[in-house]
Amino acid sequence: MAAFIVGVFFILRAVITPAFEELELEAAHTDLIRADQAIQTDIDNLMAVSLDWGPWDDIYEYVAGRNLGFQRSNLVRPTLTNLGLDMMAVYELGGRLKWSQLLHEGEERPLADLRLLEADSPAVHLLNAHANADSATVGIVDTALGPMIISSQPILRSDYSGPVAGALVMAQFLDEARLGRLRERTEVDLTLMLAEDYVIEGERGLSDIAVGELPVRVSDEAVTNCVVLADILGNPYLLVSSKTPREITSLGQQTVSAALLFLAAAGALLVIILWWFMKGTIIRPIETLTDHMNKIRKSGDLSDNLNLNSDDEIGLLAGQYDKLNSEVHETRAALLHQSFKAGKADTAAEVLHNIRNALTPMINGLERVGKAFKVGDGLHVKEAVEQLSDPESDPEKAGKYVQYLGASFDRLEAVHSEARDDLNTVASQARQVEAILADQEKFTNVAPISENLVVDEVVEEAALVIPKDSPTEIDVDVADELNNYRVRAHRVGLLQVLSNLILNAYESILRAETKEGRISLSASETVIDDTEMVQLTVRDNGTGFEEDVRNKVFQRGFTSKDEGDTTGLGLHWCANAVASMGGRIFADSQGEGQGAEFHVLLPAAQGG
Amino acid sequence: MGSQYNDENIRVLIADDDEYILQAYRDAFADTESTQAMRALDELAAELFDTTDSDDDEPHFDVVACSQGDDAISLAEKAANEGHPFDVVILDVRMPPGIDGVETGCRIRELDPDVEIVFVTGFSDVPLEELQRRVPPPLKLHYFNKPLSFSRLAQDVASMVREH
Repeated sequence: MAAFIVGVFFILRAVITPAFEELELEAAHTDLIRADQAIQTDIDNLMAVSLDWGPWDDIYEYVAGRNLGFQRSNLVRPTLTNLGLDMMAVYELGGRLKWSQLLHEGEERPLADLRLLEADSPAVHLLNAHANADSATVGIVDTALGPMIISSQPILRSDYSGPVAGALVMAQFLDEARLGRLRERTEVDLTLMLAEDYVIEGERGLSDIAVGELPVRVSDEAVTNCVVLADILGNPYLLVSSKTPREITSLGQQTVSAALLFLAAAGALLVIILWWFMKGTIIRPIETLTDHMNKIRKSGDLSDNLNLNSDDEIGLLAGQYDKLNSEVHETRAALLHQSFKAGKADTAAEVLHNIRNALTPMINGLERVGKAFKVGDGLHVKEAVEQLSDPESDPEKAGKYVQYLGASFDRLEAVHSEARDDLNTVASQARQVEAILADQEKFTNVAPISENLVVDEVVEEAALVIPKDSPTEIDVDVADELNNYRVRAHRVGLLQVLSNLILNAYESILRAETKEGRISLSASETVIDDTEMVQLTVRDNGTGFEEDVRNKVFQRGFTSKDEGDTTGLGLHWCANAVASMGGRIFADSQGEGQGAEFHVLLPAAQGG
Repeated sequence: MGSQYNDENIRVLIADDDEYILQAYRDAFADTESTQAMRALDELAAELFDTTDSDDDEPHFDVVACSQGDDAISLAEKAANEGHPFDVVILDVRMPPGIDGVETGCRIRELDPDVEIVFVTGFSDVPLEELQRRVPPPLKLHYFNKPLSFSRLAQDVASMVREH
């Protein structure tokens, strides 16, 4: 945002400010033109007045020496005052002064003080004598008392006929009073300066200045335009300056600043609105999503859904995430289950293979030992001894009987030796079997994989253990609040524990011959040793048990069922399984025929 | 063991990775062999007590044993090349770290279409139908689960050879 404002600032500076500067230069130039025109208007006005007086029979007669009363009635100070003139002079033909009056700062002064109409003055012949009726001189002149605008007309008859009788000269000082009036009229801060006094940067003099406009000078405060006016001789004489304050540029800068300020304020407001909008529609939902993901990452509980109810893209994303999460949860559960079963299958196969391999030499060894015991049956040792003991036996065969006895004992000894080896083999393989079983025992100490489980999912699956063709109607009541509880447990283990307890309740109901069997499953929270636990309860209206049985029901081999119906291992196994999951199990009953309650305490799932 | 060929003996090749089992095989299939001392004892008994030698009808085996499938294939190929192929090959299914008994049976079947192949295993992941498909024909394929009596197996082996 700051970069955007800086960019806009430079764009405005590059585009808007030059436009204002150009406008300001145009305005300054207009001021100069107005100042120049104002001076020219004064000159034109002066010329108009002199044209009223020059071609006039009365002054014609007067300058010809015939109308002497004209001077008394017209050539008086009030006439100059009324006409706004500072100087008036009447010349006879040939340039001889007939009458004149000069007013300077309210006082009458001799005309000679002007040092304008002296015989040696370069402009005198343009002013005091005119060769014909069309001859006239109008413009600005330099005098000893300051610059004046001047108009000199030939004196003619009123009908402009001649011959030229003389010259009428009228002039006005370009003094501060007149400048003040010009400033008021033009509203331009104009000043006058003699061109010879004008020096630019000390390097330019009068010789370098031509009539016309000079280069514009621009300072921080004002734009100054100048024009050099020529005197009646055509020489550069008077420099008119108009000084235009840089109000337009200042206004432009203020405009740019105001625009930037407005832009910054609008930008800030836009950012706030966008932030508020994004926080509500994007940031907060994404934060919720992120928090949820972190929660799942820490707890590993994929069963917890986000449930972000919104119709926008974030809501759709959250919905898809929940769906994906649920699918992953189900897949993980199935994988764990499958992995558990596959692990059990692999283990069982390996154990079967190894034990059967070990049993094979044992069986064959024992078979050979059995045969060894029968070797003696095939020998005729007793007969040979009898023959040797019989005095009537053939003496020639006695040696062979002895030889036979020796061979028989050798044979028995060999068989005995083989049997000893076979028994050693049997013992060795028995130890092998023992080692295999010891290995399996180690695995029983490996904790099964625990996960966060929603209780009702496991309970509903466990309740399927009740046979559909039950001879007694069983009402299974699964409390609604079960879906509010999550436990940290091994899924298959908990499933088997609950299945065992529900089956136990079912069988108890059958034994009680209750017409309306009822099994209810509920849950509640409790804290044991500062650990949050969930207590699952399986309640039945079966046989129940007496107080003295309470502590025996989980003992190995204990059963309340008929002999031969059971091994008495179910509840004992449940107790061990629950203990391995960090939980506890206990039973309660009001007595025989009062039904029973089995409670399973398991750690509550982390992260809800 | 069994390096001397006797055309009347049943030639048996056994492969099992368990040395105790191999020894049990050897003991069982050598049971019917008579040592010189035993023959002398029998001759004396016949002379002194007028008994007859009841061992004449017992089958006799030439047994070659190994612990890996690759060795069994080499031995079967060598015996076939020498013109004395085995009558029966007894294979364990699991024989780590080498190839398993099923693969060994397939290869030996390619070498000798007539040999009787016996699978003996403590546990097999391979169903019997697949064994019959991979090591045909079914009539020359036999399957036993451990544990079993090898002396009885020896009798069965003798029966297989006599019947075919």
